[in-house]
Amino acid sequence: MTAGTAGERTAPTPEPVAVPGPPLPAGRPARPVRRREARVGLLFVAPMLLLFVVFRFGPTIGAAFLSLTDYRLSGDWRFIGAENYARLLQDDLFWSSLGVTALYTVFFVPLTVALSLGTALLLHRTVWARGFFRGVFFLPYVTSIVLAAVIWKWIYDVEDGLLNAALGVLSLGPVDFLGDERLVLPAIAATSAWKGFGYSMLILLAGLQSIPREVTEAAVIDGATGWRRLRWVTLPLLRPVLFFVLVIEAIGAFQVFDAMYVMTAGGPVRASYSLVYFLYDSGFKFFDFGYASALGLVLFLVVLVFSLIQRRLIGRDD
Amino acid sequence: MARVRLPVLLALVALVTMTPFVVMVLVAFAPPGGKTLPGAFDLTRATWENFSAVLSGAEIGRWAANSLVYSLVSVVLILLFSSMAGYAFAKKRFPGREVLFWAFLATLMVPFQATLIPYFVLVSRLGGVDTYWGLIVPTLANSQAVFLMRQFIMQLPDELFEAAKIDGASEWRIYTTVVIPLITPVLATLGVFVFLWHWNDFLWPLVIGQSSEMRTLTVGLATLEGENVAVNQIMAGATITVLPCLLVFGLLQRYLTDSIATTGLKN
Repeated sequence: MTAGTAGERTAPTPEPVAVPGPPLPAGRPARPVRRREARVGLLFVAPMLLLFVVFRFGPTIGAAFLSLTDYRLSGDWRFIGAENYARLLQDDLFWSSLGVTALYTVFFVPLTVALSLGTALLLHRTVWARGFFRGVFFLPYVTSIVLAAVIWKWIYDVEDGLLNAALGVLSLGPVDFLGDERLVLPAIAATSAWKGFGYSMLILLAGLQSIPREVTEAAVIDGATGWRRLRWVTLPLLRPVLFFVLVIEAIGAFQVFDAMYVMTAGGPVRASYSLVYFLYDSGFKFFDFGYASALGLVLFLVVLVFSLIQRRLIGRDD
Repeated sequence: MARVRLPVLLALVALVTMTPFVVMVLVAFAPPGGKTLPGAFDLTRATWENFSAVLSGAEIGRWAANSLVYSLVSVVLILLFSSMAGYAFAKKRFPGREVLFWAFLATLMVPFQATLIPYFVLVSRLGGVDTYWGLIVPTLANSQAVFLMRQFIMQLPDELFEAAKIDGASEWRIYTTVVIPLITPVLATLGVFVFLWHWNDFLWPLVIGQSSEMRTLTVGLATLEGENVAVNQIMAGATITVLPCLLVFGLLQRYLTDSIATTGLKN
């Protein structure tokens, strides 16, 4: 499913509308042509419009409405106002899942941004086999997170996992990465970062390549090299792109579910029980659809706040 | 000094990135029980046994077919509907055009999981649970696809369409013989991404395909994982799952990475 979040940056500027058709003979009204064009336009939009009305706008309004009811699998429902939300505030599971998700985001975002920025900077400065390395780093992105979770679950395995074998060679461990409450979130964050950093890397690489050569050359003439050029010239110019990457990765992190479902089933002792996991369980294990919808609205609000922060921060740069 | 180290650093990161794939394949080809280091890394003992076991034991063939149906049908329909809508948004004037376009884009702000429950309620009320249409149709309303098509078609010169119109071509003819050929490159890019998104999709196939026969490959792989199947067989299943992605990637690597950098397609 395309739970897309890339809309912010893609906001287009309104284009001048092209006036269609050959010039009309003087005195004849343009209306029939216009009307024909409008009809054709609507016909071409119709299939997608129908899909959007039924499967996008409908469920969005439906989510807000359902969250105010006690709708269950049986189909019986009552309008209960803000009761679901009041219940959320008193539900320990809600607060713990929110905490898990926030903590996961704190592990995942810096890790992903560091990995993608590091590899983007490396690739930007090498000419040698650049395409090959870019491909290698991007490769995990085209696979599924379920696949990443399945492989990494074995890598983390206490008894015969690859990581513990390596630690064994160094006479360390064994470490139960997925069974330890303190290690489980960093371990899952590392798996997701491995899977996804290639996307942000490409965005950052494009950002680096759009920095005018004269600017960096001027910095070199002024005597700024290496770390200082990076700190005072490259990173400030990259800031809008960096913020963009930061926010989309944070939005993605807040929707984490697949990796936890496959690797830990939310455990140990709910240490990896995320907000969406709670939503999934409320809906498809307890069939408490109204309550699950209220959780969905909380998720939407969090994502909205991230997007607004992004708009403000990037807006200030322009 | 940094110049000497760069390739070394790159090679190191590349090695770490590739390791999970390599061990997946090694464990998949190791003899049953050979999941620890020495056994899995002894290439002289490589065997197809795990593949035949997982192919005969589970319904992996059926799951792969489901994934193919889900991905390919979605690609065709999304390309068709989004290019039609993109053409109208880019080149036709009709009442509500701007409002509609922005309403389409605004849906990007709502995470799919936030509307998962009403989605499921709607599709199950319409009888779509455990059906192909229930799996496919709700995923076709794709704003990124419409946006991409509109941006691309907007750049095409109006004179082309005017010339076709003067020649007496019908609107559908203009769409099929002028628009489609001109947007083939962007159709191909989008098609590849839609294929990968659907092939790798998890949450929606998980909730809508409730019987074992309606699982997709990713969902099937996740259930294999939960059913105490031997690690060697799971890795064989994982290898089968990733094969189409690697194939697409190998063929179109340059194309894919360039289009991410320039258009920022993201699932």
